[in-house]
Amino acid sequence: MRVNKAQFEAMFPPGTEGGRRTIIRAVDVKKVYRMGAIETQALRGVTVDIYEGEYLSIMGPSGSGKSTLFNMIGGLAKPTAGKVYIDQVDIAQLDHNELAWLRCRKIGYVFQTYNLIRVMTCLENVMLPMSFAGLDSEEAREKAMYILKLVGLAHRPLHKPGELSGGQQQRCALARALANSPDIVLADEPTANLDQHTGEEMIELFATLRDELGVTIISATHDLKMLKRSDRILWIEDGQIVRAAHPKDVDFSSGDFH
Amino acid sequence: MTASVIRKQVRLPVSVAFGVVMQGIRIRLGRSIVTLMGVMLGIAFLMSILTGQTVRQGVGRETAARIELGRMMSFLTAEIGPVSERTLGVVAVGPLNDPERRLVARLRELGAAGLQWSGAVPAEYPAGWIKPVAAGEVGVGTAAVLVMGEGRVPGLDWGTVMTNAAEKVVATTRKALAVPAAGGMAVTSLEREWQPDEVEARELGARRLAFRTIWIIVISLLVTVIGIANAMLMSVTERFREIGTMKCLGALSAFIRQVFFIEASLLGVTGSVVGCLVGYGFAVLAYSLTYGFDLVGAALSMPQMAMHMLLCTVAGVVLSVVAAIYPAGVASRMMPADALRSTV
Ligand SMILES: Nc1ncnc2c1ncn2[C@@H]1O[C@H](COP(=O)(O)OP(=O)(O)OP(=O)(O)O)[C@@H](O)[C@H]1O
Ligand SMILES: [Mg+2]
Repeated sequence: MRVNKAQFEAMFPPGTEGGRRTIIRAVDVKKVYRMGAIETQALRGVTVDIYEGEYLSIMGPSGSGKSTLFNMIGGLAKPTAGKVYIDQVDIAQLDHNELAWLRCRKIGYVFQTYNLIRVMTCLENVMLPMSFAGLDSEEAREKAMYILKLVGLAHRPLHKPGELSGGQQQRCALARALANSPDIVLADEPTANLDQHTGEEMIELFATLRDELGVTIISATHDLKMLKRSDRILWIEDGQIVRAAHPKDVDFSSGDFH
Repeated sequence: MTASVIRKQVRLPVSVAFGVVMQGIRIRLGRSIVTLMGVMLGIAFLMSILTGQTVRQGVGRETAARIELGRMMSFLTAEIGPVSERTLGVVAVGPLNDPERRLVARLRELGAAGLQWSGAVPAEYPAGWIKPVAAGEVGVGTAAVLVMGEGRVPGLDWGTVMTNAAEKVVATTRKALAVPAAGGMAVTSLEREWQPDEVEARELGARRLAFRTIWIIVISLLVTVIGIANAMLMSVTERFREIGTMKCLGALSAFIRQVFFIEASLLGVTGSVVGCLVGYGFAVLAYSLTYGFDLVGAALSMPQMAMHMLLCTVAGVVLSVVAAIYPAGVASRMMPADALRSTV
């Protein structure tokens, strides 16, 4: 049975921060990876509210569980324990059709490893989610070209990922994430491979998406510029959130923020 | 932005999946050809084994029949000398069997002037060469009289035939009709008399051959199954990451299964049909080099070939589809994040 909005709000009072609507809520999310006898506790109980139209940055050392958290709140993997709500719906109760819709329309993913489809051109990669959404190919091509222009890749639409530089692949992955105008963008280190200038452009693009379209941006990053531009920073360590702060309360010069 | 509800993903028409498949085959032409070759080789192998069995059995039968014909002919020529330019009488008391038909054909080949024929006349000879006559008149002016078929012809009696044939040879081609001695003259049979131990040996040989045939077909089927399954599995498993990515981007499991089903069917059908032709051609060629085109040609039968082709094609398609759909189905049901990492 699906939890409806009233039940949800009775269980979890709406987030208080500026009275904004919670778009993603994780409640005590745990993830254990089992490989034979070895167990890895990737997440040890993460509870977080993410608000609509928020620009959230997540920091943490390598292996702290950032990508795992993204998979959980993006509906790409099942938590071992705990619940994830998107738009106040417990995603564990969605059927596969609804999950597919969510992944296709609601959320845009930029994977840490890009996960571009090697055998398709950059343009075809961007068009793929559109075709899953039922767009006809002419419409999709036009829209994909427009998005590629936005990320500064309009001059390379017919190259395959293998023929693109790391930064270009990253931008292609970003373009694909934006394909179906998602409400939420989940970006795992989206500027890691970009030069100073292109990185700044991407940050601006995110800011524009948030400001103009109310898109919620969640990104794992160590990029100072990105951190400073975000609305909130979460620190995650060993599978737990250890600190949350607004960038203006963080002393970026001291280096203590790591 | 208003509070949105989560809706269901649209089911895409099959044409979209088909488009994805065609694009995939085009992009991955090299890989598709390798997979196709895997299916083709498996089916070509199976088909060549089946054809080889047919050829070997057929060649065995054909050789035996030729030996039998040679024996009949040498009996005849020993009795009446060369048959060329001679007329012989035939009393067909029933439908002709294969050795009898071969005998008639051989007589024509050797230039016999014609056959006086009583009974149902075979249609395949030129008018004039076979002269139908009444049963009582067979044997007048002929070098020998042959009784063919098994049965009875009303109005025929051995006495008349003997009289007509005068001092000449009368023989039957079936041992059942042979008359030990009629009117002071033995009517001999051209059909070979099998000794009991010969019959036993022949039956044992037939059983051995049947066992070997089944054994070889089972083994070749296994080889084919493994070959095709391997080719298709390879092509699916190396795309697990792609399947995972597609799921992350909102592809339904059904869509992914559809894509792999269409692709496997296309590759299966094409590979099987080409494999059938290649396997058949190869087997025929190889056996022809051993036994000669003439003997192999005589041993082959069209309906049997058609049946084998159908069998091989069905086997190829079913195997390809099962081998591709099963792992693709498993991958498509996994959570996307798992499918992205999985290497099963
Ligand atoms: N599929 C998996 N199977 C087993 N262990 C896993 C799997 N995915 C992640 N882990 C483990 O979970 C922990 C968290 O991994 P995760 O990828 O979430 O880290 P991360 O914070 O994204 O690191 P990085 O900054 O290096 O990307 C690590 O210890 C990792 O080894
Ligand atoms: Mg990571």
